[in-house]
Amino acid sequence: MALLLQLVASQDRRAFASLYAASSSKLYGIILRILKRRDVAEDILQDVYVRIWERAMDFDSRKAPAIAWMIAIARNRALDERRRAAVGLDAIDADAEVANIVSEDEDPLAAAERSDNLRRLAECLNKLDKNRRDIVLLAYRDGYSRQELSQRLARPVGTIKTWLHHSLVQLKTCLGQ
Amino acid sequence: MTNGENIDVLAAEYALGTLDAAERSSVAARRRRDLALDLAIEQWEARLAPLAQTISSVEPRSGLFAEIETRIAVRHAATVSNIQVVVLEHSMRRWRRRALAAAALAACLLVAIGVRESMRPQAPTSYVAVFQKDDASPAFLLSVDLETRMLSIRPVAAQPQAGKTYQLWIASEKLGGAPQSLGLIEDHDTVTRRLLAAYDPAIVQQATFGVSLEPAGGSPTGRPTGPAFHAKLIPAPR
Repeated sequence: MALLLQLVASQDRRAFASLYAASSSKLYGIILRILKRRDVAEDILQDVYVRIWERAMDFDSRKAPAIAWMIAIARNRALDERRRAAVGLDAIDADAEVANIVSEDEDPLAAAERSDNLRRLAECLNKLDKNRRDIVLLAYRDGYSRQELSQRLARPVGTIKTWLHHSLVQLKTCLGQ
Repeated sequence: MTNGENIDVLAAEYALGTLDAAERSSVAARRRRDLALDLAIEQWEARLAPLAQTISSVEPRSGLFAEIETRIAVRHAATVSNIQVVVLEHSMRRWRRRALAAAALAACLLVAIGVRESMRPQAPTSYVAVFQKDDASPAFLLSVDLETRMLSIRPVAAQPQAGKTYQLWIASEKLGGAPQSLGLIEDHDTVTRRLLAAYDPAIVQQATFGVSLEPAGGSPTGRPTGPAFHAKLIPAPR
């Protein structure tokens, strides 16, 4: 995929089509989970690929794998949209169509199939207290803000912020990167 | 926040996504001039990226990629100024109001064709025309290869209408002046046919093309009866 992205950087449209075929369902899954509404998620997905096309020359394979670079663009765009539109928790819970799509196992880290880097990250996350692990997962996967985490866990925003900071520092230390 | 550890926590929260709208836009602006912050964000994005493996993939609807290509072409249009588009608009009043936007869109769609063309061996005989709808959107894109007399017409913004059909016409002084039917545009996909086999390339190149909205089955009179838009061919951009 890194090679495709490098070809896209030289404005190769066929490589762009192949890159889209190889990555769009992953990015759409990520965006839809954060934004919940298909029409909004489709609009953002289009925007994300326009950015990938225009910024492919910024991609540096020494810094991150190609898919991680694209995921970052997709998540940042989806999160900006979610914050901008202030999608409420009520709207999210009420959206049965998407709730169906994204319903998953109780423990997302328990999946049997996982890459080495996910296994390492899961080991480090599992060393955190349950609440502190959960807020990291809810934030990354579902796009929760501190405010939304505070409502969901019925804790003050200040407490959530402290938990987040401790969790992230611990995570970094554990990963040793 | 100049302390290294604080920068790292800020980067981590940005990458994780927990900041509010104002904080997110402030960090996004700051990372452009603060390389340490930018690097820290990239490292956190890479650190957390494996979590994306726990999110189910969802197939987007088909057709989305074509819309992405159009968006890219539209954005590139702003940088293109040397393409002249000859467009005859049916409704001048509405057209004027939207002329600038329409011209930009038309230009970029031509660029899109040009880019696609440039991926193939160049044919010196390719021409295109853009049919303007009665608002800002190009309704149809026509491309013609004079050598093979292949004609391809692609609906862009034109919508199918119940009980109606679009009909394609060619008109030229040298063909007696009255429009002659080239057939119905019934599929809502690109239609490519050797519709021009009977016409002299020199006449085709100078002719006016028209698309009219007709009752299902085509014009009952053999002449355009419904609302129409017209365009002339220009060489496909290289």
